[in-house]
Formats: sequence, C-alpha cells, structure tokens
Amino acid sequence: MRIGDNLDIKPDLAENWMISSDGCLYTFTLRRGVTFSNKRTVKAADFKYSFERILNPGTKSPNTWVFEKILGADDFMKGSAADVKGIKVLDDHTLRIQLKQPFSPFLCLMTMTAAYVVPREVVERWGADFSSHPVGSGPFILKEWLPNRTVRFEKREDYFAAPAKVSGIIYRIIPEDLTAVTEFEIGNIDVLTIPASEYSRYRNDAKRSLFISSLQGLNTYYLGFNCSRPPFNNPNLRKAIFLGIDREKILNTIYEKRGRLAAGPVPDILRKWDEPDHHAFDVQKAKAFIQQEGFDGITLNFYTTADQEIVDIVEVIQSYIRELGIQVKIKQLEWSAYKEAINQGEPDMFYLGWWADYPDPENFLFPLFHSSNHGPAGNRTRYTNAVVDSLIERAEIVLDEKKRWQLYKMAEDTIVSDMPWVFLWHKTDFTVRQPWITNYKIYQIYSMDKGTEISLW
Amino acid sequence: MNTYMVKRLILLIPLLLGVTLLTFSLTKALPGDPVFSLVGERAQPEVIEKIRKELGTDNNVLSQYLGYLKLLMQGEFGRSYYTNRHVVDDIMTKFPNTLKLAVGAMLIAVPAGLMLGFVAALKRNTAIDRIISLCAVSGMSVPVFWSGLLLMLLFSLKLKMLPPSGTGDLQFIILPALTLSLPAMGILSRITRTTVLEILDLPFVKTARAKGIGEIKIHLVHVFRNALIPITTVIGLDFASYLNGAVLTETIFGWDGIGRFTMEGIIKRDYPVIMGCVITGTLIFILINLVVDILYHYLDPRVRIDDKSR
Repeated sequence: MRIGDNLDIKPDLAENWMISSDGCLYTFTLRRGVTFSNKRTVKAADFKYSFERILNPGTKSPNTWVFEKILGADDFMKGSAADVKGIKVLDDHTLRIQLKQPFSPFLCLMTMTAAYVVPREVVERWGADFSSHPVGSGPFILKEWLPNRTVRFEKREDYFAAPAKVSGIIYRIIPEDLTAVTEFEIGNIDVLTIPASEYSRYRNDAKRSLFISSLQGLNTYYLGFNCSRPPFNNPNLRKAIFLGIDREKILNTIYEKRGRLAAGPVPDILRKWDEPDHHAFDVQKAKAFIQQEGFDGITLNFYTTADQEIVDIVEVIQSYIRELGIQVKIKQLEWSAYKEAINQGEPDMFYLGWWADYPDPENFLFPLFHSSNHGPAGNRTRYTNAVVDSLIERAEIVLDEKKRWQLYKMAEDTIVSDMPWVFLWHKTDFTVRQPWITNYKIYQIYSMDKGTEISLW
Repeated sequence: MNTYMVKRLILLIPLLLGVTLLTFSLTKALPGDPVFSLVGERAQPEVIEKIRKELGTDNNVLSQYLGYLKLLMQGEFGRSYYTNRHVVDDIMTKFPNTLKLAVGAMLIAVPAGLMLGFVAALKRNTAIDRIISLCAVSGMSVPVFWSGLLLMLLFSLKLKMLPPSGTGDLQFIILPALTLSLPAMGILSRITRTTVLEILDLPFVKTARAKGIGEIKIHLVHVFRNALIPITTVIGLDFASYLNGAVLTETIFGWDGIGRFTMEGIIKRDYPVIMGCVITGTLIFILINLVVDILYHYLDPRVRIDDKSR
C-alpha cells in the first residue's frame, strides 16, 4: 500500500483489499507478477515472514509497534507462539490480517517502510549483514552504502510499476551546511535541503528562488510542560506561559515564516474538523494568572538541544517568560542526553517537534497525549486526562469517519484548553534544485517518495 | 636496544588493558540508554528487557567487561548498534582515509614548517622573521573550521579547481590536508626557530666556524641535525593525533575518516564503535611514540640506550 498525493491510501503491492464489517479482518489481494530485485516472485507468504521478522525481538526492530495491533502479535513477541496467529496466508496472492480490535488507521500502518516485503532466503543468507545487502520489491537497488557518507541506488528495469526516469539516485551525507551549499552552488548536487542559515539568501536570489520547492510538513513543534509535578501540574501556570509568548512574532522574525502557526497538536492538513480556538498573545492576562496563583519569582528549568536555530528560539521564549516575572534557567544538552532527560521527565519545560509516521490525526493524538504513552513513547509532558484517553480509544475503534472526526475534535479541544503544550508551529520544508531537474516535489512523508517521478531535462 | 624494544612492547599489554577498562567504565557512566536508541521509543517493556538480556547490558559491569575482553581477544570489536556492521570492518575502511589525510597534512606541514622556522631563525629580528612569526601564530590560532571554509570558498566556489567535499584521491585530499596542516606548520616553525637559535649560540657552532666550514654546511649539517630531536617529538605527537582523526576537518570536508566515525559513535551512544575507536587510537598513539623513541636513537647518539649499561 502507498500514500497518494492527497494523503489517501493507494494500492501498491496490494491490488485491492476488503475490510470486514466489524473492522477486524483485512483481506488483501496481492498484485501478480511482482518480483524482488533478485528476480524471485513475491508471494503472500513473504509478507507473513517480513511482518513476523519485524516483531521478532531477535531482529531488534524499533518498529514492532507497527504490527502490535495484529491478533497474536504479543504472544509471538513473548515467544509463547511460533507464529502470529492473526497473519494468514490464504493462497499465493491473498493475505488476511486479523486485528485484536478495530484500529481505524490500520491501512496507514501498512504504508510504512516497516511493512515492506523482504525475501526470506536472502535475509537468512546474510543474517545480521542483510542491511548491507538488502533485496526488496522497490524501484531501486541499493548499490552502495557507506554510513555517514553516501547511499547509492540504481534503477531497476523490472520494477512492477512505471520504472524510475533516472538511472540512479545518490544521497550524499554532508555534515557541514556550508559545504553542502558549496557543492550545490558548483553543481555537484541536484537537490539540496536548504539549511536554515541560507534560507533568506536563496529566497532573495532571483534565479535560485524560481527553483525552490516548499511543502508544509506533517509536523508540530511545541514547548512541552511537565504536567506531572509542580509547578506545571497547575493548568493556570501553563496557560499564563502560553498567553505570555508571542508565537506569531517568533515565527515571523527568527523563524523567517518557515512554518504556519499551530492552533492545536494536529496539523491543519489532517484536521477534518473546525480548528480549536486560538489563544492570542496577552501579557496582561498572563500576568494576572501568575499573580493569582502566586508564581511570582519562581525559577523554571528549560531544556534544549545545542542546535543553534533552536537555542535562538529558546532564548527568545526565555525573555518572554522573564517579562512575566518568572526566571528561566536554560540547560543545553547534546541530543541523546537531551532525549533521555525529557524521557525521564527531568525538565520543567522543553522544546520539541513531532513528525508524522503516517497521515492520520491518530498519529498526533494517541502517542502524544494518551496516558499510556508517558515518556519515551511520545507523551513526554506526562499529560494525563481520562476524558482525552477515552476519546482517543473510542476513535480508534469507530469505523464511521464522521464520528471519528467528532471524537478527535473533542479530544483536541480538551487538549488545547488543558495546554500541556504551547503549540508553536507546523514547519515548512524547503529544498532548492538545479534548473535541469524536473518533476521534482517534496513529499509529506518519506515513504511516499519512490524516486520514480524525478527526472532530468 | 632490542631488550628495550621488547620491554616497550610488553608494556603495551597492561597499557591497553588499562585503556579498555577506562573507556569501558566511561561509556558506562555516560547518560543515555543504548537500548532506547536501538529499538526506538515505542517498544514494549518486555521487548526492551529481552534485548537488554541479549546485549548483556543487564549483567553486572564486571562480567560485561570480561565479555568484551573475550571479544577483543578474537580480534573483534563487535557490531555497531546502529548500522549492524562490524566495527572492525568500518575502522579498516576508514583508517586508510585518515592515514591519507594525516600523511598529506604532514607532507605539507613538515617541509614548510621547518623551512619557515629555519629562515626565521637565520634572519632573526628582521622583517622576514616577524612576518613568518605572524603567519605561524595565525596558523596555530585560526580555527580549522574557519580556515577550511575560506579555502573551500576560494578553491572550490570561486576558482572551481578542487572539489569542496568527498573522500577520494589527490584532488580530494589537497583542501583538507592543507587546512589540517596549518596549525602544525605554525607550531613546527616556532619550535624550529627557537631550537635553531639555541643551537646557533652553542660553542660547537663557533668551533665549526673557526675551522673555516662554510655557513651553508654549518647550518645543514651541524645545526639542523641537532635541531631534529625536539622537532621529531612535535611531528610525532601531531602525526599521532591526526591518525586518531581530525573531527572538525573531516566534518567540514565530508572526509570519511576515523574522527567523524568516533564522534558519531559518541553522539549515538554506539558503545562498540566508541570502544573500538578508542582502543585503535590508543594503539596507534603508543606505536607512534615508540617509533619516535627509536628515531631519537638514530638522531642523537646520547639518547642511545645501551643494552650493556642496563
């Protein structure tokens, strides 16, 4: 399955599918004549093997959660079952998946790279080295992988759909932004993700700006409060900070309008319901809340990564909060130490972003606000609200879309009024390409980019 | 001499053991759980437990250390937590790159530094001396991320003579090697200048002059040869540190060397990579020091270690 341009689910290796009326049984009919890059035909049994491989703890995959909704997945992971009961091969071209209970965005999970099919014999031949010698069913073959240096793909002529228009794609990993820009300027790179520091230069360059692409990404950046302990277990303090920060001004100035103001956690593209009420910048109101609750003169610790762009933003936020009569101590940490600290709930406040794994509002509500996901699973503010929990749970099993959006609207409205986050913005991606590149576009989710459209003049 | 070498080589063993113990304890003390970086953050607790067991990180530290030593004995550093590739293989592919860059930088720094220092000493307190001193001090103090970017702007962007980044043959080496050579060149020219000045005042130079030996011969044969000991020390230290990777230079020029590999390992808490790099690095450092000691022996008879006297 793949995600189409309108963020809808499109057939790919699965030609079509049927969902039972109770929403638990998915029957997929697989496309015939699809081959792996080692020429072998893809069969339904390969999918069962591939999905179970991800679930198998021996694989150490970070993506087991993609298949955890399937019946029997838990038993298989614990080792008490030899296979996943809910994945059945009916014949070479039919695969049936049974879920524990309905999960409305299940098809989205099947578009993820974790659900890509791999041939058992090749995996077993290479063992732990499979990642250096991968075989799959996609439009390209991995020719060379030098970690932190280059990844080189070569076009496959026998791809089951329209083959790529270019003979290959090389991804170069260039750690230093200015070096990447130099490589682009002298024409060694076809497409460049514009570094933040170079954005205004390209925007103002008459020639280059014609070749800039932009796309509002499926992400939400936020300022998180630790809701599980004082002082931020007090919603009025959260509200005060929210009202005391001029998000729009930060977005328009230091962020150079490289995003859209967020009304709530769910990006507008995915929100099929009315957006929550905006809370405008209001220092007086913010100060009133602080006086009322007696938070005058307290000190908060605010964690950030060492990324310069983020540090700049965090410092501006610090000065806004200081205006309210509250001291903020900024602590800069290297990325993994930072991640660990916020997972453990160490800071009072932190700055973070969330990027979608698949285009469904569920992906912005369940991991981030459900109380079962405290800490590393996504809910790093340790936000707990039984009403929100049950709304999200009910939406998962509701099959009627309209009803689902209603539930999500209620959940989002509640979250916005509880304010575990200061909802900052949805970041826009920018790339610049050489004049000889055509049919180029940015994709909202990396798995959408099959590399078959881009072409040269 | 031979007994001395054998002794030095035997000393390597406890030294390396100490280093493994030290780095091992340091990586254990680092914040950040590698299991999380490995399986991501949405993994179930049971799965995390299972992986801890498999990696052995739930054992006590001593048995983890012994397990690691056992692995080392087999000439293995284990697999990277991230790429699942053998750390030994990655070090083997990256080390030649680092070696190329280090040799390149030394080929520029040593002749240039020696020459500049020598000239500065002979022309002491003249305009030439001051200009050379200024250049040397700049070379030592200008950070490579600045000089490197300047060189890149000039040679890649403006003149389009050399590629700005990438790992490869001569045309790729020149820019990073030149960048990396600047600080070493500065230090070398300063040291050479001071040493040569000291030697010029020594009585044996006067004697040589009195004997009627020509100035050029005095400088090349008598002064230069005697100046080589401190210079060799500096070259050895610089070279050894370059062989452990030059993180900044490698980062700017996208050079695929040991330095960036180590750095990425540290950032990602990739313990096998960190340990592998540190141990290899230590080994190189010790070996280079050994080579320098042996060079002393040839350069200066006074340092010669006499087997009989020991």
